[in-house]
Amino acid sequence: MYKFFRANFFVISFLLIPVIFLWHPNWLGILGTQPYWPLFWLLPWSMINGSYNGFIVGFFLGLILDAISFSGSFTQIPGLILCGIWFGKFSEIDNVLVAHFRYGLICCIGSLLCGSLIFMQLFFKELSNNDFFLLLPSVKNIFTQVFITGFLAPFFCSQMFKIFKNLKEKKTFN
Amino acid sequence: MLDIRRIYTNRLRQKKNKWAILGLLIFLVFVRISKGSLYKDFYYFISKPFWPGQFQREVIKNSVEQEFLIKFEQLKEDNKRLRSILSLQRVSESDTISAAVISRKNGTWWRQIILNKGSKHGVEVGNSVLGPGGLIGRVKETSFFTSSVILLTSTESKIGVWIDRLQIHGLMVGLGNDYPKLIFYTKNVDLKVGDFISSSPASTLLPPNIPIGVIKSVDEESKFKKTANVILLGKPQAIDWVQILKVKI
Repeated sequence: MYKFFRANFFVISFLLIPVIFLWHPNWLGILGTQPYWPLFWLLPWSMINGSYNGFIVGFFLGLILDAISFSGSFTQIPGLILCGIWFGKFSEIDNVLVAHFRYGLICCIGSLLCGSLIFMQLFFKELSNNDFFLLLPSVKNIFTQVFITGFLAPFFCSQMFKIFKNLKEKKTFN
Repeated sequence: MLDIRRIYTNRLRQKKNKWAILGLLIFLVFVRISKGSLYKDFYYFISKPFWPGQFQREVIKNSVEQEFLIKFEQLKEDNKRLRSILSLQRVSESDTISAAVISRKNGTWWRQIILNKGSKHGVEVGNSVLGPGGLIGRVKETSFFTSSVILLTSTESKIGVWIDRLQIHGLMVGLGNDYPKLIFYTKNVDLKVGDFISSSPASTLLPPNIPIGVIKSVDEESKFKKTANVILLGKPQAIDWVQILKVKI
């Protein structure tokens, strides 16, 4: 069982993202806003496996998350693809403290990128209306999500990075 | 010696009596001018312990509640009868399905809940979902065991509503926050804070007369529209159980 879990940790953790996305624990949020969960997985994974893999996984993540959140107005795919590619360009650094803060900062920017892309999609969809009512709530949504994602990223990303790295190293030795 | 002292005391008494009589007179004049208000206020304080107590208040409250319930039942029956005469849609008790909320996303961009009843239990796309307080959303998708509900606060939600006081229709649009926007495509609407909003009696999508919310604030007038912010009566962020209504058309 342990061997199976280790061998398939990538798939299992990947499949767990939509579950956490649906679970949406309120106690981990701020002003009703949750962190952007897929980034916590995508960042360490793309850092280890590179931009190309980040692109593919970002696309699949977007597909799954769009399917479960059934939003016809916008899609998460472009944001996650761009994040996957961008995250793949980062490499590991030795300083643990700096690495932690770096995860937070990168996730903040990633969340801002994804939120802004969603907002742009909504903006162009609602452009036909004379008054654009969505502006203020959208700005609030983007910034609360950026804050909470950046705040929690060091905890989650560092752990995920450790696990992914260990698994990859052991695979290489075997 | 004794006589002298007696005379002195009598004089004092006489003086005191004069002042007392004068004081009494002034008091009587005051009472007369104030029309006995002083007495009434005094009576207020001394009778306070003997006022009708909490028990009596509760008895009255219960009777009033019972009276309202009876009136409400009568009106409900009347409404049913009249709607059947007019062949408008109606909802019966057997058309409701109770469901628990198993996933709740009421922040950020996604405002949806997932219920533990799906197509297996007879839930269909478009069914209305009610929480304690009023309407909270509509079923957008169903799977075999679950149904996904799009909340009224979602950016995808656009429904026609009815303003009870003004007897007019408006469009309620979700903005992705807790307060949907009510839009009227005319300037001449006398909206007021506290106006009650319900589903339209003539709606073909929603069951009629379901409470939705109350106007929280009215925006400044624009050229062609009048808009207001709505506070919903049903709180999707707090409820765990909902009722799914199946509309009969």
